[in-house]
Amino acid sequence: MTLSFRSSPPENWIRLLIAGLLFCFGTLSALAQTITGRVTSADDQQPLPGVSILVKGSTVGTTTREDGSYSLNVNNPSGATLTFSFIGYNSQEAAVGSRSVINVALRAGTANLSEVVVTALGIKKDIRQTGVAIQTVDGNQLLKAREPNPINSLTGKVAGLTIGGSAELLGRPNISLRGNSDVLFVVDGIPITSDTWNISADDIDTYTVLKGASASALYGFRGKNGAILITTKRGTKDKRGFSVEVNTSQMFDQGFLAIPKVQDEYGPGDHGVYAFGDGKGNGLNDGDYDIWGPALNGQLIPQYDSPVMVGQSFTTKFPNGATFTSNRQPTPFLPRGKDNLSRFIQTGILSNNNIAVGTSGEKYDMRFSTSYNYQGGLVPNTKLNVVNFNITGGYTFSPKLRFDASMNYNRQFTPNFPDVSYGPNSLIYNIIAWGGADWNIDDMKQIWQPGKEGTQQIYAEYQRYNNPWFLAKNWLRGHYNNNLYGYTSLKYQLTNNLQLTAKTQLTTYNLLRTEKFPYSATTYGREEARGDYREDRRNLFDNINQVLLQYNKTISRDLTINALAGGEARVFNYNSDYASTNYLNVPGVYNFANSSNPVIANNFTADMRVLSAYYSADFTFRDFLTLTTTGRLDKLSTLPKGNNAYFYPSVALSTVISDYVKLPASLGISFLKVRASYANVKDGLTQSTIGATPGASFPLSYGDNYASSYGGPTYQNSAVYSLPLLYNNKPGAYFTNTLNNPNLKPNSTSQTELGLDIRFLNNRLALDAAYYVSNDGPRIFTLPSSEATGYTGRLVNGIMTQKKGGEISLTGKAIRSNSGFNWDVVANYSTFTERLKEVYPEGGINTIASNYFVGSSSGNRFINVGDRTDGFYSGAFVRTPDGQYINDAGGRPIANPVAQFLGYVNPKFVWGINNRFSYKNLTFSFQFDGRVGGVIGDYVRQKTFQGGRNIETIQGALGTARVNDVQGVKSYVGTGVVLTSGQLNYDVNGNVLNYGELRYGPNTTATYAQDYVARIYGQAESFLMDRSFVKLREVIIGYSLPTRLTSRFGVRQASVSLVGRNLLYFAQYKDIDLDQYLTGGISGLQTPTTRRYGINLNLTF
Amino acid sequence: MTSKKYILPLLALLTLAGCEKPFDQLEQDPNRPTSAPASLVFNGVVNDMYSVAGGGGWNDSQRYNQFYASNYNYYATNDYAWTTTGLNYTTLKNVVKMEEEAKKAGLPDVNAYSALGKFFRAYFFENMTRRVGDIPMTEALQGLSNATPKYNAQKDVYVQILSWLDGANTDLTSLIAKNDNNLSGDIYFGNSLSKWQKAVNTYKLRVLINLSRKESDTDLNIKSRFAEVVGNPTKFPIMASMDDNLQYVYNSQFNKYNRNPDNFGGNATRENMAATYLGTLTSLKDPRTYVVAEPATALVAAGTKPTDFAAFVGASSGEDLATMADKANKGQYSFQNRKHYYSTYTAEPYLIISYPELQFNIAEAINRGWVAGNAETYYQNGIKASWGFYGITEGANSVYFSADGGYRNVNTYTVDVNFAGYYAQPAVKYAGSSTGLTQILTQKYLAFAQNSGLEAFYNQRRTGVPTFLIGPGTGNSQRIPLRWQYPATERSYNTANNTAAVSSQYGGNDDINAQMWLLK
Repeated sequence: MTLSFRSSPPENWIRLLIAGLLFCFGTLSALAQTITGRVTSADDQQPLPGVSILVKGSTVGTTTREDGSYSLNVNNPSGATLTFSFIGYNSQEAAVGSRSVINVALRAGTANLSEVVVTALGIKKDIRQTGVAIQTVDGNQLLKAREPNPINSLTGKVAGLTIGGSAELLGRPNISLRGNSDVLFVVDGIPITSDTWNISADDIDTYTVLKGASASALYGFRGKNGAILITTKRGTKDKRGFSVEVNTSQMFDQGFLAIPKVQDEYGPGDHGVYAFGDGKGNGLNDGDYDIWGPALNGQLIPQYDSPVMVGQSFTTKFPNGATFTSNRQPTPFLPRGKDNLSRFIQTGILSNNNIAVGTSGEKYDMRFSTSYNYQGGLVPNTKLNVVNFNITGGYTFSPKLRFDASMNYNRQFTPNFPDVSYGPNSLIYNIIAWGGADWNIDDMKQIWQPGKEGTQQIYAEYQRYNNPWFLAKNWLRGHYNNNLYGYTSLKYQLTNNLQLTAKTQLTTYNLLRTEKFPYSATTYGREEARGDYREDRRNLFDNINQVLLQYNKTISRDLTINALAGGEARVFNYNSDYASTNYLNVPGVYNFANSSNPVIANNFTADMRVLSAYYSADFTFRDFLTLTTTGRLDKLSTLPKGNNAYFYPSVALSTVISDYVKLPASLGISFLKVRASYANVKDGLTQSTIGATPGASFPLSYGDNYASSYGGPTYQNSAVYSLPLLYNNKPGAYFTNTLNNPNLKPNSTSQTELGLDIRFLNNRLALDAAYYVSNDGPRIFTLPSSEATGYTGRLVNGIMTQKKGGEISLTGKAIRSNSGFNWDVVANYSTFTERLKEVYPEGGINTIASNYFVGSSSGNRFINVGDRTDGFYSGAFVRTPDGQYINDAGGRPIANPVAQFLGYVNPKFVWGINNRFSYKNLTFSFQFDGRVGGVIGDYVRQKTFQGGRNIETIQGALGTARVNDVQGVKSYVGTGVVLTSGQLNYDVNGNVLNYGELRYGPNTTATYAQDYVARIYGQAESFLMDRSFVKLREVIIGYSLPTRLTSRFGVRQASVSLVGRNLLYFAQYKDIDLDQYLTGGISGLQTPTTRRYGINLNLTF
Repeated sequence: MTSKKYILPLLALLTLAGCEKPFDQLEQDPNRPTSAPASLVFNGVVNDMYSVAGGGGWNDSQRYNQFYASNYNYYATNDYAWTTTGLNYTTLKNVVKMEEEAKKAGLPDVNAYSALGKFFRAYFFENMTRRVGDIPMTEALQGLSNATPKYNAQKDVYVQILSWLDGANTDLTSLIAKNDNNLSGDIYFGNSLSKWQKAVNTYKLRVLINLSRKESDTDLNIKSRFAEVVGNPTKFPIMASMDDNLQYVYNSQFNKYNRNPDNFGGNATRENMAATYLGTLTSLKDPRTYVVAEPATALVAAGTKPTDFAAFVGASSGEDLATMADKANKGQYSFQNRKHYYSTYTAEPYLIISYPELQFNIAEAINRGWVAGNAETYYQNGIKASWGFYGITEGANSVYFSADGGYRNVNTYTVDVNFAGYYAQPAVKYAGSSTGLTQILTQKYLAFAQNSGLEAFYNQRRTGVPTFLIGPGTGNSQRIPLRWQYPATERSYNTANNTAAVSSQYGGNDDINAQMWLLK
């Protein structure tokens, strides 16, 4: 790579660009000075990266780079003072005067800790004065062992933030911040509506997690559940006026981390019988089959590719007595497709390339960054391209007036990404769950039947399943998303103490998703197999206009005030269309005009406006006690008139005890801060994501109903008709089943928190702990009602839950040696429990169905006030009082007609440990993280058992019985008892009422393994698994090339890293990767997850 | 917030987007209407009626009726493991909305929608009370004004149902007299009010027959009400032929019959005929056997003639599923007739309220002495009508059985149908008294096959005819349950009233094996 700007300094073209951006504001003048320098540790003279440098009394600042160097643009340098601060080191100040180079050596470890964090609205504050829970992660540390989605990289890095990274292309990461999933993302102060795929990791300077309501209360209703603030990189302060940085990372997926284990000894069929007739039911079990067929032992069986001999007749007799006659000549039944899945799946590729150009001059700084990320999926013919272009700049007109602007354009595009949800669209469904080893995946590369190219796929079955190669090449789903967010801001220093900012910010996307469903593909409800074409178009526009007045004043020696007041108006528009053909006339022409039946079309539009005013005031007493109060008033158009304006207060207190209490030296405490906060936040009738056809059913009920980022009105408080198409495609009208409520008030959450920041041994060991109590509610919810009212529910304010939780984050510099060997440890731990406190006291109601909180839990089992909210109720078996199965006369356990309690879904705790070692130019780091506790139904296990493909169906007693199944002999004798007298009588919760009347004998009735498995795996009790897992998340070995070596090539800095992600995984069953399942009682299907290896190269020119 | 006064104009200057609508209008959903034509609401209700009536052949109801059995665990079992049931109040709410919309559109107080609204009330309330027992009625459908409606005794519900049906008949009479043509959106009768009137009165006879165990109840006056309808066809027109059926007719594009070429490979061999049904047909040497079923392939292979009734074997619904699956796999059971059910998308209409049922109901009433007349004539009419439904004609009939296990290649056989000969069998020939009653009920059961939702089950529950087969396959400790549990929401959100109803009817346990008033 060669880059040069030999001819002239780049100022000219940059100026041009700035001029373009700023609508030609006058000439550039010179009143600022660029200060450069290097910060080292006074103890060992090693460079200190990440030291924060701040122009005293302002928010202007920077941090040092990897090599400890920095550069900073300072207005009025003669009177300015720079503050250098770093965790574990004494802060140091330096007056600038006439200097342009300031080198500083920081001395480690006294009680004087100074650290700056970003708080709500992007306001930077000294950690000493912060009374809320905030944790920061350095963006550069997440650039090496990459994830396709930047947020996935935060896994295990922040206490209280659980990321359920999805390994799927375009999979939205599941986020749980203190148990809340709907978290606000803010980039450089702009709240964005995002699934996080439009954020480029390369542009991120820091991630700041505002954990609680009190930290993010200033964001109003969007910050209700906390926020993740992303601060992007700014223009360089390199003394040449520019720098170029290139970061490239190439990673490959190799080896499965989680994949279901399957048997290859039996083929498709039922009770050992299978014969191909036409693959649609005209043979024996040849359509929509299970894998409970004959042994793949070479016996002669008519198969899909057996020759058809016209005029001849062949009869196949099965060991159990069944026979089949046709003109298809039987051929040996063999495990031709033993490794179909691994032979089908390809090496995934993740390639990230970024080039960033930074520049700065006396009055401006700019950064341009372009990233291209390419992801090649495991599934053939799937990919994802993400292009990101970011430009950020600032211009200082005068010491009083500064302009800043940033724009991020992001385009995600792919002609095909896989649909992994359960169904004939899924490869796992077709190859693992319901496909046998009787056909060879390589034979399926010839997709079309000869003479029927483009209209009829070739496969071993034609009723329900699809040829995987046909799926990959012809059932195509496109995704094209143009995303833009940015802001412009003008800051004016009215007086020494008063600053006015006007900012306008924008986030917008337009999305097109297409689905080409080819002729001869089948899925649920589309068995005519005549193809479809579908388009999903969505547009979002979200604009916030903000005015902010900031006031900073040292009133007296004892009191400093930092205050701000602001107002904003937000305008939100969303509209979408979804249209689908209803079968195609001409194969392969994906156009609505080609629809066989009338096109099915839906559209949706939503407008919202929010008017807000807010303030924040910090009162700092003698530098050791800070009281912060904030307040925000929102008027939100989604709420009913009269209740649509509401106020969010918060108050926080922090005090650095070690500043005024002499702690015994023997304790080794170098810093001790305690904090307390309280906040109340509200929201209402908005939702974070939206589907394709809001308020209407999803057309033709197949395919993924994509949830895109939204944040707009739900319109659930409207008394309206829905108009589905009914008989003969004519609409009918149904009035809402949920009563609206003109007196609805917003949701409310109050959170109280206590925190402790304690550091030992000259700040080498830092522990941050938080304990919070969050009272969530009363919220807006649909209170189910007696259906006899005519309505299944009504919208009310109710349901109060209480969450109690804690977080501990431990940061240690375990070793700092003079030889240059360092060892850093970061450990995170978090836990919470949520209980139901009230449901609807007004109506005397204190119970709610368990599926209100836990997806796939039973709607017939209720939890009561005082119970944990995460109880999972699902299918189970009736047992004797001593716990044995009660079998029916067929020798199979009797399922309880009512769902039973199976466990809690939330983990007991979540943890992560990251170790980083460095020695001179070498670094080595690795991270383990995981969750402990909780249960989940393993859906893949259930389906592979039911389908007869799970390896355990040929092992042990089941395996022995399977041999006999095929012979037509029942031989599996299940455990437990059988009733010898009495009948089971239950109460409404499935409790047996008459144990006293029941008499038992041992179960001696043999049945088929197939039927026993069918009964057992019909109930979640049998495929429940422990939700605990441990992952070796990442390993990075890094090497910084010596400067003297790189400089010969014009490279100022170069580092190369070998990285690995998701290398080890420990869990009870490895059918699924538990990572992505943060909530819900039962897992889904998913693409197997793999280990990822790669190399990262970072060059700075 | 005085600051807003200054801030807002400033913001207006900066705003990128225009504001098209006043703030207060933004709360409203712009995508869905708050008002709809009565005809559209009516269309929703009549479609619900189809769902409530079982939603077509081969659904769960028809397994509970023991017309067929599932031999495939994964899709369905024959287990009567009933728990809670859904109710139909949300549909009834739409009935209320339909009437409101009709009035809003300027129709008079008595109009086609209001008249049919009375019928719908009767229909859906009866469906609910038959499933659970006592239900909220007088205090129901009041939305927020009564969130905890009291339960009405089942008997009161029936008194009200009969009154609604009388009201519907009266209103329809007057509308028909006025040539009212305001009804539209009718999927059953092409907006013909006189056809609806026949359906209403035919349905009323069903309701009355269902109350047979209460024939001496003086508040209900079942016998005289029944006699009044049968005796006065001018005032109470009833269905006169198969053309009057309230039935759902399938089409090949949007509303396919539940069994059709699309799902052949999924279902055809996973459902076999149930012995309760097929065994009855073959024991009577009934030609409907040939239309609905096929001979068991193993028996044909072993030499039984395909048209021999002995070749048709249904499985006991009580058989252990492991055994049934294995035997079905080996061809030892009869499957549904593949040509009839799988070679088209329309198969046969789905009868909701039908002429054959009417004939048997009248025959039953005569047999019970409620009304004077010749039960045998009605009995014969019912059988003939049902035969007609299946396309069976006097003389030579072609019947079709699969030649190769599929639905495309069929073997054609000719069977000779002779109603007189059939009828002459002692088991068929109407014998009067209790034997005659069983014969009527048996033939009614046969005519209900794959139709009319749970009518077959309810008749069996009421009369014990036919005998349902039980075993490990039917679960529930070898009992056929008598009812469903109330919805869990009743227990949780209408607790006091639900508890009172459960304790007054069922001794405090909401048990599926408990007996409701109707059956006592």
